[in-house]
Amino acid sequence: MMKEYEYIRFLLNKYWNCETSVEEEKQLQNFFSGKDIPEDLQKYAPLFKDYKESQLSIRLGNDFVKRLEAAIHQKEKEKQYITIRIFAPVLKIAASILIMVTLGIGIYFLANENKKPYFAETYNDPKAAIKDATYALEKLSEALQKGEEASKETFNELKNLNIDWTALDSMDVETESEAMIEPNEKENL
Amino acid sequence: MNNEKFHHIILSLKDNLYRLALSIVHDKAEAEDIVQDVFLKLWSKKDEWNNIDNAEAYCYRSTKNLALDRLSSRAIRRTESIDSQQESYAFIDSETPHLQFIRKEERSIIYRCIDELSQNQQLVFQLREIDGLSYGDIANVMGISEDLVKITLFRARKKMKELLEKYNDERI
Repeated sequence: MMKEYEYIRFLLNKYWNCETSVEEEKQLQNFFSGKDIPEDLQKYAPLFKDYKESQLSIRLGNDFVKRLEAAIHQKEKEKQYITIRIFAPVLKIAASILIMVTLGIGIYFLANENKKPYFAETYNDPKAAIKDATYALEKLSEALQKGEEASKETFNELKNLNIDWTALDSMDVETESEAMIEPNEKENL
Repeated sequence: MNNEKFHHIILSLKDNLYRLALSIVHDKAEAEDIVQDVFLKLWSKKDEWNNIDNAEAYCYRSTKNLALDRLSSRAIRRTESIDSQQESYAFIDSETPHLQFIRKEERSIIYRCIDELSQNQQLVFQLREIDGLSYGDIANVMGISEDLVKITLFRARKKMKELLEKYNDERI
């Protein structure tokens, strides 16, 4: 026993000088965890026994691993969406540009539609245009003239028929007066 | 590293990282959040797993850095240095009330001593005493040289020795 104490004292000296190995420090911890500790060494017992024991009693809850796994799972999920999230601002800008371009093109075409003339210019040579226009107007004029002549002829023919217009006009009045008399006659009867 | 290794790291390191985060931020919910963030970060670096030589040290380092970041960005009250209720459950065996009293006294002594250490000393001390990391790994986690780790640990242990002797003398 004395030999063991001597060895412990020897180890303890090494320990204070930081010359002990991890293994030797374990031996010290084992020794101080026992009951047979010389009185002069008892004051060091808290260092080797109680410190280690109290520290080792500090542990994480049993559900830590479960929660960690859930957090890892969540992180993996987030990773999948991260690409979309990174490009979200770019996508927003692209969408805005697309809307603006669409609107621009729409407005441009609508504005052009309003400006469009009803009679489009089809002639390159103004002289040809005048010539064709004159031809068309002459044709129209001829047609109108023919129409006028035809109506004049009709009037003349009507004049030549010597119709008694007053008689024709009074025909309506007579029939009207007859219609007026008829009810009275019916009453007299 | 593959999915299997990733799950192995989670199961074997989650409590160690939680303790490390808790010792920095002193807030259980915050510490748990930090550990979760570290694992999520490791998961998101799936493509770079082959380039990470020491995944354990990487996790410790990420936890330490994230916890220190949170600490500096938030004013967290130092209320939960240890969970006193959990503590008392852990130590209730068949001990007599007197022994329980002494144990409680000793526990508070050890944490009173640790509170006296600087933050770097506390972290190096915890990584060595609780997590049993090699000097090389601690250097990797802390982002300092191995020599500086040894010096920091030497000072931390020396201070702990002095404080324990002092509290022992006071008790007598």
